[in-house]
Amino acid sequence: MSDNLEVRGCVLPLSLHYSVGDHTWIRLEDDGTALIGMTDVAQNLAGPLLHAKPKKVGATRKKGKPVATVESSKWVGPVKSPISGEVVAVNEDVKTDPTVINRSPYKQGWIVRMQPSDLAADMDGLLTGQAAVDAYRERIESEDIKACEHVDGFEI
Amino acid sequence: MSVDPEGKKILVIQTHGVETPNRTYSPLFYAMAAAAMEMEVLVWFTMDGTNQLKKGAAEQVELKPGSGVTLKTMLENAMESEVELRVCQQSLELFDMTTDDLIDGVDILGATSIIDLALNADHVMYF
Repeated sequence: MSDNLEVRGCVLPLSLHYSVGDHTWIRLEDDGTALIGMTDVAQNLAGPLLHAKPKKVGATRKKGKPVATVESSKWVGPVKSPISGEVVAVNEDVKTDPTVINRSPYKQGWIVRMQPSDLAADMDGLLTGQAAVDAYRERIESEDIKACEHVDGFEI
Repeated sequence: MSVDPEGKKILVIQTHGVETPNRTYSPLFYAMAAAAMEMEVLVWFTMDGTNQLKKGAAEQVELKPGSGVTLKTMLENAMESEVELRVCQQSLELFDMTTDDLIDGVDILGATSIIDLALNADHVMYF
């Protein structure tokens, strides 16, 4: 069975948790921290990214508040955190080459690492696995989001 | 030392309208950027800028030929980003427009309000 499913060509790893409304994913790490990034749907909607500005290490964020601002030629907006916590690391690669988010949204293009402050409660509102894919499919179809196109070197 | 943007108030004053389409994109884009940075952002449309908010006008302005992105797209994106849009009451009258001519989501304010907004903003950007 595949580790990933697709909706209109947009890849959604089944192992991640998603805030479908905010187009973000979270990966829980063994050390108790969590990596956060934009989904394939989000990077495709934004287009080739020109700038990414994560919050600084030490910033505390409530769930739903931005952990970064990203810009393309046609869109600028926040990357909203799916959880509350403190930013403990920032991916410097996204600051120097924001297109890494387009190329590798779930791997090299992680944006911040957070130390959660209320993980159990925050995870309650997130979806994973088939439930996440189904919710995303519903959103993609209801908003008629265009099929994902991937740049050269795109990886999951 | 850079200023922490969170919570700051930005007032954007837009005086250009659909007759100069190249001047319609950036103010809204900057407003959206400020909103993404958690600032309170208000775009005030006055003078020719008033016509950007007329029903049916913005969708006629394609910001870059072939892009599919119209001024309507930008206005909707701005409002979705919680950028507040306001139009000058006196400018409406000057251009023979009424409330019914405006797109949804725009509030009308009088001239003295712009003074209050300017005084209370952390920064004002003029276009």
